[in-house]
Amino acid sequence: MNLILKKDHLKHLLNAWRQDYEVYAPQSLQNFTHFLPLQDGFELAFDKAHNTRIPPKALFLPTSEALLKFTRFGGYEEVPSETAPRLIFGIHPCDAHAMTMLDTVFEQERYTDPLWKARREATVVVGLGCDEPCKTGFCTTVGSGPFNHAGLDAILTDLGEIFLVEILTDKGEYLFTQLETASEDQSMQASEVQQAAKASMPIAFETEGLKQKLDQNFASPYWEEVSRSCLGCGVCTFLCPTCFCFDIVDEAQRGERVRNWDTCMFRTYSLEASGHNPRPSRVERTRQRLSHKYSYWLDQINQIGCTGCGRCVRYCPVGLDIRAMLRKAHQLPSEVLHA
Amino acid sequence: MPNEGRSPYLPIPMHVLHAYYESTDNSLKTLELSFDDPQDAREFFAAFNPGQFCLLSVIGKGESALGVASAAWEGDFVRFTAQKLGSVTTALHALKPGDPIGMRGPLGNGFPLEEWKGKNLVIIGGGCAFSTLYALTKHLHHPSNRGDYGKLTVIYGTRTSGLCMYKQDIAAWHQRDDMEVHQAIDVPEQDWLHHVGYVPDVVKEVRPSPVNSVAVVCGPPIMTKFTLPALVELGFPPETIFTSLEKRMKCGVGKCGRCNLGPKYICKDGPVFSLAELNALPADL
Repeated sequence: MNLILKKDHLKHLLNAWRQDYEVYAPQSLQNFTHFLPLQDGFELAFDKAHNTRIPPKALFLPTSEALLKFTRFGGYEEVPSETAPRLIFGIHPCDAHAMTMLDTVFEQERYTDPLWKARREATVVVGLGCDEPCKTGFCTTVGSGPFNHAGLDAILTDLGEIFLVEILTDKGEYLFTQLETASEDQSMQASEVQQAAKASMPIAFETEGLKQKLDQNFASPYWEEVSRSCLGCGVCTFLCPTCFCFDIVDEAQRGERVRNWDTCMFRTYSLEASGHNPRPSRVERTRQRLSHKYSYWLDQINQIGCTGCGRCVRYCPVGLDIRAMLRKAHQLPSEVLHA
Repeated sequence: MPNEGRSPYLPIPMHVLHAYYESTDNSLKTLELSFDDPQDAREFFAAFNPGQFCLLSVIGKGESALGVASAAWEGDFVRFTAQKLGSVTTALHALKPGDPIGMRGPLGNGFPLEEWKGKNLVIIGGGCAFSTLYALTKHLHHPSNRGDYGKLTVIYGTRTSGLCMYKQDIAAWHQRDDMEVHQAIDVPEQDWLHHVGYVPDVVKEVRPSPVNSVAVVCGPPIMTKFTLPALVELGFPPETIFTSLEKRMKCGVGKCGRCNLGPKYICKDGPVFSLAELNALPADL
């Protein structure tokens, strides 16, 4: 069943939700949009053609957070999980889809990460589909899409004066009890908007057989060519919604063991105490980044580990474009004999 | 050990029972740790398998991944041997009996001991990587385990005789009639009665039989690199050759990302892999 949310009613609804949830929505801060908690007199920043700079994974895996607090005499205690109810409003489907992939890492059967899991369970996610998909995005190429439902409790389609609301889970249904039902025409209109958005996105590169190309060309000079202009700044991984690597360090003065976002694009990431480094240069590190997303994730969960959000393309300081890199990868020979 | 609601990042509270140097140059130190809570000990030993590792925590310094160097039957303690290299292992070397320490584990898969039952075992180690092989040999020595396996051959090489670990025990192994021990050092020393040469060459000299056998190799990368082909040449099929891998680790439970070898995580899917498994993975070591 689809519902209708009038745009002039949105602020009222968000404020009503604030009674029960901490509500996060895109807002402007220092030239970029961020998912920030709504305060009184908030202004939303819905630039349709843009994702927030930092992906909302940061609301579940903060850039830095304590795992342990140190107590006296060499003791330590666990940091309790956050269970306060939260609502994220206006998340784009690529970012929501990415979080379902991260669930497979943090909620594995054998070792569940309690901090991630508690935040996920305490959060309702309302998506906003992309009727004007961004130019750097390529979600349809990698198995996601501008109106993909994965990871969302409800999704909105912009129909001018109104949003059409599709309820996707029980959690989502609970949010929108007061709204009127959409007519068949309105549902049809939304479906057309969704189809048109999807159709407007060109296929950025061929994914069929791409994994095999990457696997078979592990020792190819291709990696040297595509990593030549890379500065190794790591922004492509830092802003990636499916990247999850972290470091664990003891902050002795703060009395905490902390995990911080980390990146395979840094030399120290894989540097061993002996001085040996399996990925000593940007060549190996670029290979790791691309292969993880376009080969290893496929082995692990049979999905490409990229949802095509386009942040790595938009924010790369030297204009390295993963789409071009992968188009080039597809030109590589299929069978390479290694020495 | 599944965490069942407990944070996988929360170390088990332990304290140092014994701490002593293992090598004459004091670069290697052995720590024997006991559990503050007997319930933790029961849970640890119910899950423990030789070949697994733990993350040792010195609060305020950080964590370091070390292979377990003791067998469960030795008692309610866990043994590790640490080479002094970085800040955490330096802090580990400074610990004294009675000092508190945290430990996460046992982590990883360990050796597939069930699969190896009824087979001859060729155990090949080099340097301080011998620690988990020591745990394996100790495990096999227990009377209730020894009968499950055939001939036992140990080949252990170090750069010098002073760097040889667990000296007393290994000296006693030479007297046992249920195993064959070959020790080696890289360069000749006075009064050294065993092999002189690199481990791969000693393996070629000893020529262990591949018939109904499995070989386990743990050592520095350069030793492993040349020992694996030597075993293949002796006729060991890749499915019967095992090695334990190491990479930089942080979380130990397949989340922090850094120890991946293609789609596998050394911490969670390893550290023990067969050569057949490794041949199917990228050479990202």
